[in-house]
Amino acid sequence: MFWAIDYACLALVVAAAVLVIRLRNLNGSVMALSAMGTVLALLFVVLGAPDDAHAQIVVGSIAVPTLYLIAIAKIRTEVVNEPELGEQGDTDAAADADAGRAGSGGDR
Amino acid sequence: MTLAIGVACLAEVVIGALLLIRVGLGPTVCDRIVALNTLSTQITLAVLLFAAFADRATYLDVSIWLASFSYLATIVWSRYLERGLL
Amino acid sequence: MRLVFVIALLAVGVAVSTSGAVGILRMPDVYLRIQCSSKPVTLGALPVLVALVIAKGPVSSYGGRALIVAVLLLVMNPLATHALARAAYSVGIPMWSGAVVDQAAARAAGPTAAPHPGGGQPADREG
Repeated sequence: MFWAIDYACLALVVAAAVLVIRLRNLNGSVMALSAMGTVLALLFVVLGAPDDAHAQIVVGSIAVPTLYLIAIAKIRTEVVNEPELGEQGDTDAAADADAGRAGSGGDR
Repeated sequence: MTLAIGVACLAEVVIGALLLIRVGLGPTVCDRIVALNTLSTQITLAVLLFAAFADRATYLDVSIWLASFSYLATIVWSRYLERGLL
Repeated sequence: MRLVFVIALLAVGVAVSTSGAVGILRMPDVYLRIQCSSKPVTLGALPVLVALVIAKGPVSSYGGRALIVAVLLLVMNPLATHALARAAYSVGIPMWSGAVVDQAAARAAGPTAAPHPGGGQPADREG
């Protein structure tokens, strides 16, 4: 039973980490990073290190994404969020580009 | 009874996989924050159930930290979306 | 007997949480997803905590921690959901095309556009 929970947490961590580097929207990538930190805290608890899980929750799941959000908001350039050359037919990239344009209105 | 609690813990992790799809797919940032809020609630329940499954009372403090700080993060990020930087 | 109660409460909690997650995955709009995030998740978390208290006994470290988590969940989840919905509305995320009523926009348009049943009457203002 331990190994099942262990492998499920590992799969979630790997999926969230792939999501962090595959998303084209910067704020969405930060949200995926926070999700990875939260699931990694559960993985630390499953592996028997609750003190690491404390540090992971406070630092990796909340403080670091907040710092990234502040840093993204500090950059005042207009980022054109168009899909690149290799992603012309990718519908997810187009949807993310739309989301980036819609979300940048509230970012100021 | 221990087996039932372990199966429930595994079910919460699988629900977290469903929510991670929405984190990756959500068109706006608010969708991702909603999915993240629900994901942290499910992980809180999973930590509680795993503490009962492994019979270690030390693991319970992690769930309290997760329950308090995840909602703090949700409120701070929604304020950030509403009125900009700080 | 205790085992039956524990398994039934765990099954109810996991089923309600699954319905909330499927709702978040399938709903067409931010506001509907927020509604799926608040109610089924809270309702799914409470039976799991009650099952934990029944399984481990109320007078143990599990009972106290489960009570703290339940209070945090009941207080902070509506607060966070409300802040998130207000932020989403003020940023201007469009509603689903099938939405029928927008009470905040009706209230902002003035009392002539949408008369509120408990609001001030024009006759009162004249007199």
